[in-house]
Amino acid sequence: MNPVAVVGTGQTNHAKARPDVSQPELIREAVDAALIDAELTSADIDAVVISNMELFEGRALPELWVAEGAYGAGKPVFKVATGGTSGTSSCIAGFHQAGSGSFDTVLVVGFEKHSEGHTQTGMALVDPFWDRAVASGALGNFALSISQYMAERGVTEEHAAQVAVKARRNAASNPHAHLKMPDLTVDDVLNSRMLAEPLHLLDMCPQSDGAAAIVVASGNNARKRGSKAAWVHAAATRHDQPYLGDLDRRLITTRALSSAAASAYAQAGIADPLRDFDVAEIYEPASYAELAWYEALGFCNDGEAGRLIGTGVTSMDGELPVNPSGGVLSTNPVGASGVIRVAEASAQLLDRAGDRQVAGAKTALSTGYGVYAWSDVIVLRSEMP
Amino acid sequence: MTDSQPEYVSVTLELDTSWRYASGDPMDQFLRRVAQRRIEALRCPDCGRRYLPPRPFCGRCRVPMDEWVPVADTGTVVAWTVVHLPIIDGRTGEPRPSPYGMALIQLDGADTTLNHYLDTADPELLTIGARVRAVWREHQRGAMDDIIHFEVLP
Repeated sequence: MNPVAVVGTGQTNHAKARPDVSQPELIREAVDAALIDAELTSADIDAVVISNMELFEGRALPELWVAEGAYGAGKPVFKVATGGTSGTSSCIAGFHQAGSGSFDTVLVVGFEKHSEGHTQTGMALVDPFWDRAVASGALGNFALSISQYMAERGVTEEHAAQVAVKARRNAASNPHAHLKMPDLTVDDVLNSRMLAEPLHLLDMCPQSDGAAAIVVASGNNARKRGSKAAWVHAAATRHDQPYLGDLDRRLITTRALSSAAASAYAQAGIADPLRDFDVAEIYEPASYAELAWYEALGFCNDGEAGRLIGTGVTSMDGELPVNPSGGVLSTNPVGASGVIRVAEASAQLLDRAGDRQVAGAKTALSTGYGVYAWSDVIVLRSEMP
Repeated sequence: MTDSQPEYVSVTLELDTSWRYASGDPMDQFLRRVAQRRIEALRCPDCGRRYLPPRPFCGRCRVPMDEWVPVADTGTVVAWTVVHLPIIDGRTGEPRPSPYGMALIQLDGADTTLNHYLDTADPELLTIGARVRAVWREHQRGAMDDIIHFEVLP
């Protein structure tokens, strides 16, 4: 694959509901912001990749409806669907398109308008024979897996609450974020409503309306732009078996994420993730997930995730700030959430992250997480490969 | 969003519709046995993993499976929770009464785990490693909810 880079990013303001715009209008906000950031126009876009979970909004062929918002008419347009990973998988598809030499400049845009549909019903439509009667959505799946993870790895409800606090406090510096809670405390999280033991309301991501876009350019195109580009050094995606019961101790083995990380780190020459990355934007739908991902991504040894969050290693002034944006815990328009991870990591490398900027960031990590069966890992650098 | 913005026209739509799904041969055989309160898994000829739900191929070894092996209706809790939110039931679209217990259960004779309801009558007994047994409905119709829940054995 030829070298490719992210040369522009754009996001809407994410919120509980955006009744002021239709879905194509929502997309257009993020796309226009990304084009301005990239100093390009719609005429420069050669192909469009879209990410969305149409079951949540109950709208067939969203890619047909919204592509006009992404200037798609007359261009190659397709949608990528890998659950929550759809956003990062769409970015990877865009990298492949630009890297193949078929297209110079590719626009990737993800969106969700949870307020318009039934996310929980969409999540309930699982295997009609095996677990439809009992399945309890992402909440139930996480709660089950967390019971195993806590027992084996020794993390506590307080450790998880510290993750939730870090996310919402970071979000207060992000003008796009949905949940901005600069004064949130560990006690607030522990005292919030119990959803599914041990998950409290504030341990879980919200449902947001929002869109995010990135502009991907091939090496020649990106080079012409001079120094401002976030170069793709590795992009790995993994799929796993279909049933929750297939994944032995899933937050402990983290088979898909560990495998994707090993592949991406080898491609990008990442030897010590905690030292080598300057910033990470990881897809953590639940507070406990971030702890499990620390171990799976090699930020610490197994069993040390509680210490990592407790000693501030992953806070804004720590050795490796994780989710300066506030992460999925603060903003979750699902189809956009993976694109946001890549957009935020890229903005850090482009030195355009505003009040959430990690000074001098040169190497960044983005991950995606879908259902329990997909994982994406992307390594970006300010230097060309 | 500010208060000065206009409120746009919106539309609310409600559908009452239905879906019909085919089971395939392994699931058909499996559910016909469940109707007789019997559980059997398919075993991979390569790795030996005994699969529930049964399916025609091992996803790990990428080989066909056709050897049925018996599985007990007893097992061990490997993960559990109590759900307090009224989650939408994917069979009806209606919220379930809550709270209710859920567990991943390693049935004796299977290598995958079963996601099912856990009786929470005695919260003291809820723990990883607890031994459980299926509580079957009086009348079976060949579906996973022929099992009401799993009760913890004292």
